Amino acid sequence: MSDDTLRMLRDSAADFATLDAVRVRRLRGTDPGFERGVWRSMADMGWLGVLIPEDQGGLGLGLGAALIIAEQLGRALYPEPYSDSAVAATQALQHGDNAALKQRLLPQLASGELIAGLAWQGEHGGLALDQCALRLEERGGTPVLQGSCRFAAIPGADAFIVAARSAQGLELHWVERARKGLACEPEARADGSASARLRFDAVAVSAESRVAAAASARAALQLALDHALLAASAELLGLMDCVLDMTLEYLRTRVQFGKAIGSFQALQHRAVDMYIQRELSRAALGAAVATVEGAHCTAEQRGAAASGAKARAAQSALALCKEALQMHGAIGYTDEYDLGLYFNRALVLAAWLGNAGAHRARFSSLAPLP
Amino acid sequence: MIYGVEQEQDWNALSDEAFRAIVRAEVEAHHPAELRYPPRRLRWAENRSWYLRMAAKGWIAPGWPREYGGMGLAPAKLLIFLEEMERWGIARFQDHGILMVGPILMRFGTETQRRRYLPPILACEEIWCQGYSEPNAGSDLANLRTEARLEGEEFVINGQKTWTTLAHDSSHMIVLARSDKTAKKQLGISFLLLDLKSPGVTVRPIRDLAGHEEFCEVFFDNVRTPASNLVGELNQGWTVAKSQLGFERIHIGSPKLPEYGLQVLLAVARARGVERDAPFRERLAQLQLDVAHLGDIYRHFAAIVSRGEPLGAEVSLLKICATETFQRIADLIIETAGDCGSHAGMVQMGDGRIEVLAPFYKARPTSIYGGSNEIQRNILARQVLNLPG
Repeated sequence: MSDDTLRMLRDSAADFATLDAVRVRRLRGTDPGFERGVWRSMADMGWLGVLIPEDQGGLGLGLGAALIIAEQLGRALYPEPYSDSAVAATQALQHGDNAALKQRLLPQLASGELIAGLAWQGEHGGLALDQCALRLEERGGTPVLQGSCRFAAIPGADAFIVAARSAQGLELHWVERARKGLACEPEARADGSASARLRFDAVAVSAESRVAAAASARAALQLALDHALLAASAELLGLMDCVLDMTLEYLRTRVQFGKAIGSFQALQHRAVDMYIQRELSRAALGAAVATVEGAHCTAEQRGAAASGAKARAAQSALALCKEALQMHGAIGYTDEYDLGLYFNRALVLAAWLGNAGAHRARFSSLAPLP
Repeated sequence: MIYGVEQEQDWNALSDEAFRAIVRAEVEAHHPAELRYPPRRLRWAENRSWYLRMAAKGWIAPGWPREYGGMGLAPAKLLIFLEEMERWGIARFQDHGILMVGPILMRFGTETQRRRYLPPILACEEIWCQGYSEPNAGSDLANLRTEARLEGEEFVINGQKTWTTLAHDSSHMIVLARSDKTAKKQLGISFLLLDLKSPGVTVRPIRDLAGHEEFCEVFFDNVRTPASNLVGELNQGWTVAKSQLGFERIHIGSPKLPEYGLQVLLAVARARGVERDAPFRERLAQLQLDVAHLGDIYRHFAAIVSRGEPLGAEVSLLKICATETFQRIADLIIETAGDCGSHAGMVQMGDGRIEVLAPFYKARPTSIYGGSNEIQRNILARQVLNLPG
């Protein structure tokens, strides 16, 4: 994809995604917490299909394009589940082994008709792929899902791609939310969104609903998660841009002791450290994308790059938000001031799919020793 | 050809890979193994033979144009050249002549000055040091007090420089001196060339915390230098000195020192048998990521340089990241070394010997020299973040 295409995409995404703080506040604590109309607008611009091949209804622009969109959505705190559905779930389906299912569902994901979530984690979360407490069992000759998952990102999804353990190993299945026997319990998150705990009681599945059989499920899930980690890092990067800009503007205009507080060296140097953290995150993400999109990238290299970028983005974003709050003083701690929206979103994105500590540990296990 | 030796070929016509291979082969074949990754700054007597070889080969001034006896490397090739030197752990010598004096004379010097001074720089016959800092002019360099009074055809210099790196290995010095005491700060400073053998010059080495003598104080007592050694216009020395804040700024932000620090850290951890312990690995992972992401930023700036574009004030962040990352690594080395963390020189650890304190001592001054990290943060705050003064 040419630099021009990327630039145009960035410009159009930036135009579309401006912060509507009234909307963000209004949607907090609601079900599903985002707007289908906005989702359809995003589909109309082709964003939901940037990762989907052209012959399956997408644009096939690749990961770099998806991250540009994620970054702009992060800037504007969009509650629509772009990274969850258009990246994580879409990638899991796409890299699964069920051609018929892809042919049927990918166009619907690209068009925005369907929103999907990825459900793979167990009660305590973490990064292990086979942690889920969901089992594939036989009931009267029919395979059924029994058990539960947690931390599925969107209770409002139309369907979930779930990871379940079978005798053969881990499998991925497509399960519509409306299926009998599936209960979806939301858990409120810091930013007013919710994640879902899913309980399955003998939910029947079949070979047709199987996104990936045991032979390919782990690889498909890990790839989807690694790409989603980069999308989350891109959202955090966009968020950091805004938090830093907001803070710098405040430092330039807030007057105390007869001077703009941004003229005080103690605050200037801390602002520089915020800037450095943002730049480290940007460089780490850019390099990770280059690694992941490289021709000879192994799964280990991809994982190390994605975990490294997420560890950096999560750590930096939280550091930036805390510093921004301190520099704003009491006004920053009020719900009516927009900084809090960024602050709470940073908490959610930093923890989603594993926090900085978890990803440092994964990086450590994947990257060669120096 | 007036300057230096003839180049073997047009290096810029080679592919990057071919050029890198040539540099690497030269380095691996001829650089003395015992001089790789030295724990301290080497003295001229120690690395002289290597650099004389480079000079004879015409490789002493990779960045200079060929018309002045350099290799004439385009920015991308120059970066490759420097990367290969660093990769092999080759320490810089007292190279202010190459990095500063040459480029300054090419830009501001007279033809006479170039003909007089460039050939011995290229031959490593004259070694230059930088007379900028003074006891009361460190970060606030424009506060310098060393005085140069024009008397007929000579400047008479009085005053003192300090923290002059390897002045005791140098034959010449570039001196920033106040030539107009009535002008304000930056406006009354001139840029002079000085032969350190001139009567009235006293060089006194300063012993540092690590026990090494790498920098010096230099005193001037009615020292005379010809007026023809003025570079640029009278009282315009500040402009001349500031012009050389380009390419070198990226060099100081290279991830090589932190990478070397990680090697020592791992060696110490292995010697203590903690390299697999979870608490150590957690901290190692953070530092590995710090170095990896520093490298990502470094390559971003290197790409700008390779395209031949100017570096903005943003590059100050590179120096901060590189030096503070190195310091954090050095801190963990000492902590991991435990009781051996107090031992000077080569220390017996496990089956081997490691100079435990070397990275620590090497790391400390990096945040002080080259514009302290506080100054770098001031620059970023004002020029990049647009915070008020």
